[in-house]
Amino acid sequence: MRALVSSVYLFLYAPIALVVLFSFNAGRNASEFTGFSAAWYGKALSNTFLVSALQNSLMIAFTSATLAAVFGTMAALGMERLGPRMRAFFDALFAAAIVVPGVVIGIATLVALVAVFSFVNPALAMIWPGDHPPQLGLGYGSIIAAHGLFSMALVAMIVKARIASLGRDIVEASSDLYATPLTTFRLIVLPQILPSILAGFLLAFTFSFDDFIIAFFVAGSKTTLPIYVFASIRRGVTPEINAIATLVLVASLLLILTARVLMRETKSKSGE
Amino acid sequence: MSKVRPSPWPSPPAGEGTGAAGSLSPFEGESDWPAGRMRAQFNTRFNGLTMRAAKNTKRNLVTAALVAPAAAWLCVFLVLPFIAMLVFAFCERAPEGGYQAAFTFAQFANLPTRAAAFWNTLMLAPAGALLCLLVAYPVAYYLAVRANPRYRLILVSLVVVPFWTSLLVRTYAWMYILGSRGIPNLLAMIGIEDVRMLNTPGAVLLGIVYGYLPLMIMPIYVSLEKLDRRLLEASADLGAKPVSSFFGVTLPLSLPGVMTDVALVTILLLGEYLIPQLLGGGKVFFIGNALVDLFLQSRNWPFGSAIAVTLVAVVVVVLMVAMRIAWKVAGTRQVDLV
Amino acid sequence: MTKWYRENAPITAEKLADELMRLKRGSVTRRHFLGVTGLGLATAVLARAPGLFNATAFAEDLGTQMSLATWPNYHDPATFEAFKAATGVAVEVNVFGSNEEMLAKLQAGGTGWDLFVPTNYTISTYAKLGLIDELDLSKLPNYDASTENARFTNEGVIDGKTYAVPKNWGTTGIAVNSAKIKKPVTSWKEFFEVAMAEADGRAMVHDYQLTTIGNALVSLGYSFNSVKPDELAKAEELLIKVKPHLYAINSDYQPSMRATDAWMTMCWTNDGAQLNRDMPEIQFVLGKDGGEIWSDFYAIPKSAANKAAGYALLNYLMTPENAVKEHIANGAPTTDSRVLKLLPADVTSNKIVYPDEAALTPLEFGAAVTLTDPGRAELMARFKSA
Repeated sequence: MRALVSSVYLFLYAPIALVVLFSFNAGRNASEFTGFSAAWYGKALSNTFLVSALQNSLMIAFTSATLAAVFGTMAALGMERLGPRMRAFFDALFAAAIVVPGVVIGIATLVALVAVFSFVNPALAMIWPGDHPPQLGLGYGSIIAAHGLFSMALVAMIVKARIASLGRDIVEASSDLYATPLTTFRLIVLPQILPSILAGFLLAFTFSFDDFIIAFFVAGSKTTLPIYVFASIRRGVTPEINAIATLVLVASLLLILTARVLMRETKSKSGE
Repeated sequence: MSKVRPSPWPSPPAGEGTGAAGSLSPFEGESDWPAGRMRAQFNTRFNGLTMRAAKNTKRNLVTAALVAPAAAWLCVFLVLPFIAMLVFAFCERAPEGGYQAAFTFAQFANLPTRAAAFWNTLMLAPAGALLCLLVAYPVAYYLAVRANPRYRLILVSLVVVPFWTSLLVRTYAWMYILGSRGIPNLLAMIGIEDVRMLNTPGAVLLGIVYGYLPLMIMPIYVSLEKLDRRLLEASADLGAKPVSSFFGVTLPLSLPGVMTDVALVTILLLGEYLIPQLLGGGKVFFIGNALVDLFLQSRNWPFGSAIAVTLVAVVVVVLMVAMRIAWKVAGTRQVDLV
Repeated sequence: MTKWYRENAPITAEKLADELMRLKRGSVTRRHFLGVTGLGLATAVLARAPGLFNATAFAEDLGTQMSLATWPNYHDPATFEAFKAATGVAVEVNVFGSNEEMLAKLQAGGTGWDLFVPTNYTISTYAKLGLIDELDLSKLPNYDASTENARFTNEGVIDGKTYAVPKNWGTTGIAVNSAKIKKPVTSWKEFFEVAMAEADGRAMVHDYQLTTIGNALVSLGYSFNSVKPDELAKAEELLIKVKPHLYAINSDYQPSMRATDAWMTMCWTNDGAQLNRDMPEIQFVLGKDGGEIWSDFYAIPKSAANKAAGYALLNYLMTPENAVKEHIANGAPTTDSRVLKLLPADVTSNKIVYPDEAALTPLEFGAAVTLTDPGRAELMARFKSA
């Protein structure tokens, strides 16, 4: 049993170890290890395209996850107040947003937007008073919207499940004590669903940060980190990619660790 | 506290929601909560008709405001694109590529030319999910039941950490490992020459298992961890050996979670593109790859749309079959698939 | 005032000073200097006293970055580093596996490319679809049409208008690792036979309808450019028969050939020259039954966001002193007699790069119709998903 489990862990981590190892490669290519060097970290951080791809990815992931967390939570709260038919309808739409494959979401969004733009842009040009009418196009907005769709559904599902499992006595007590619905929400409900919202946010962030296929179609001229990595797999991977991947891994490990420590501290404090 | 609900608020009669096929929340019958309940109290206390009407409007407004952004988002970026795809599927390819207006069933008639890709996907996706399960279950079981509680949290975190390194980069690492400088090179050292691993169905399956393993382990771990340990103890007290406890108690109880998990991974795999693209070398083809090709090489938007619509239909069918099986296994309809 | 002129200055004062210093040190030629800073701009700047910068009609801001869409292993990375050092513009290189893919991206819009590298037979379609602009040759002072070999460059000119200027020409042949495959491969017929026998599981074809279908047609005795349904049906039959024996369908075959994962592949001249240079056991042969001869061009998409930088890079690449380095690294034959004169003898005598005229006779240029023919597009897609 132990041996089996250890070998699964080995399986999980061997490629990651390889990625980290090659980030310290002295040679130019990611397929032959020729000696240790940290030079690629410097090169990666001074590569404007790689850095801007990373920045784009962080910005897109943060924005789409934030919007998803807010709107998803609102939808989860609102759905509790809807009639059964409307609720089933929303449930089905959210489920669809989750199970429709990313490749279809990407292509469908692209096709629909290109079609819409082909009507809207000439119309804008007609009614625009100035010389340079704004042109709608693919870019940050379309990536954020397409990522946010999946993420929002994810958050709504998670938060809805949490609301459903909440203890009801405490809310009843709150309203018995003449608390307004808003106060009850702020003081009683929100603290209870907050961990679920946060979990949803994190999942949404991770999803957006790692997504390739949706962004590949709707990114227009913008480059995200996965798009950059995919392009460099085609033109030949240099250890720069490994360096950035390693940095991202280390950063996320630090984040998890900090979160753990913070949680432990709050727990021990509230325990006393 | 009376459980009687005042009539004006739109809400289901208790108990109705739970059985509906589309509903995923086990508490639906008792919804309109917390706001509805609070309002109920409010009304029993103040029972003024005008007030009730005003409150009613206000309540509906609040509900609408809560749901509106999500509804708008779903409409513009899910419903609208899907309708666009449906419309395009009946158009024609323009001479230079793209689309032109028409009404034809030619695209759907042409679907059989992609039968191989559909077949491949429908074979490899469940196969990948099951293989993934075979690897994941023992790990989840170990983590939930056997692992030393002191290290459990760390071990569980270690399963999730790979998620934070780009799947693309990790899959690229597999290209190296399976390429001739990796394992085949090691095999050559012990005298087994010219082994080819990359660009085979096996390589794609391995990539799938690797990519989806954390997604498979975590839910099974959670469901195993929730198992009532007293059942296991009782089973042991009654003289059952660990093995028979496992097959008699643990496995049946974790089965619904496992089923859902396999279904979820299968559905995700039906739309996979990256792993076959990188580890299949254009030879192991999923429907997702055929789809991307139609838009990025042949520039045949209408046919691509028809394939996309068909893929969604396949996903829905698989989902429904999986839910039915899960209901049977679980003996209840309260199964959260997503 | 300070901020205003900084924003409107064609290049920053520091950068200009830097360039001037480089010019003085002699590390760049005056011509290079004029080239990189833009001829009109340079004259404008030199005519004024420093500190009196104004936004002028011909001074263009090159920005800090631009995007180039091209083919795998097609440029010397040092070229872009030198261009960045000279102009401050970083070049993002995106590679594609087929002209169809480039066309699909441009048709969908929003590529962000400022310069791209289409092949001869596609240019008329791009122009017809309005995806590329006629080039403003006044912005390309280093390009000289009179020194170009018209055989390779005429497809860049449509109705007297220049839409694209040549990068280099080349052929599509067969690269064979002779250490792994003993049987000589001299034709496309033999390529497909060996792919199913000695090279079982080790041969690659392009992810590109023109060459993969074209060479299958050639192996059957048909024209490389055929769009006749019955001939295409025969080619499809052959390709589907070969498919289970292939190593991969991929236009970027260099990594696999270098790692000896693949032993034989359809191969472009430049890749053949690069592979043979580093691994002499990999040989490059032209099919004696036919195949493709081509030339690649540079063109500027109509949708380019930074056309100024696109022109600047293009002009830089058209400078013989810069082009010659590209050609040595890339390995493809030049169309420009000025460059040919500068190339070392070991390059010009390399039979992979400059084959005998007799070997070129059976080859055909790709025809425009193959790009848009729905039959070929669908055949390729069926072959891949089979």
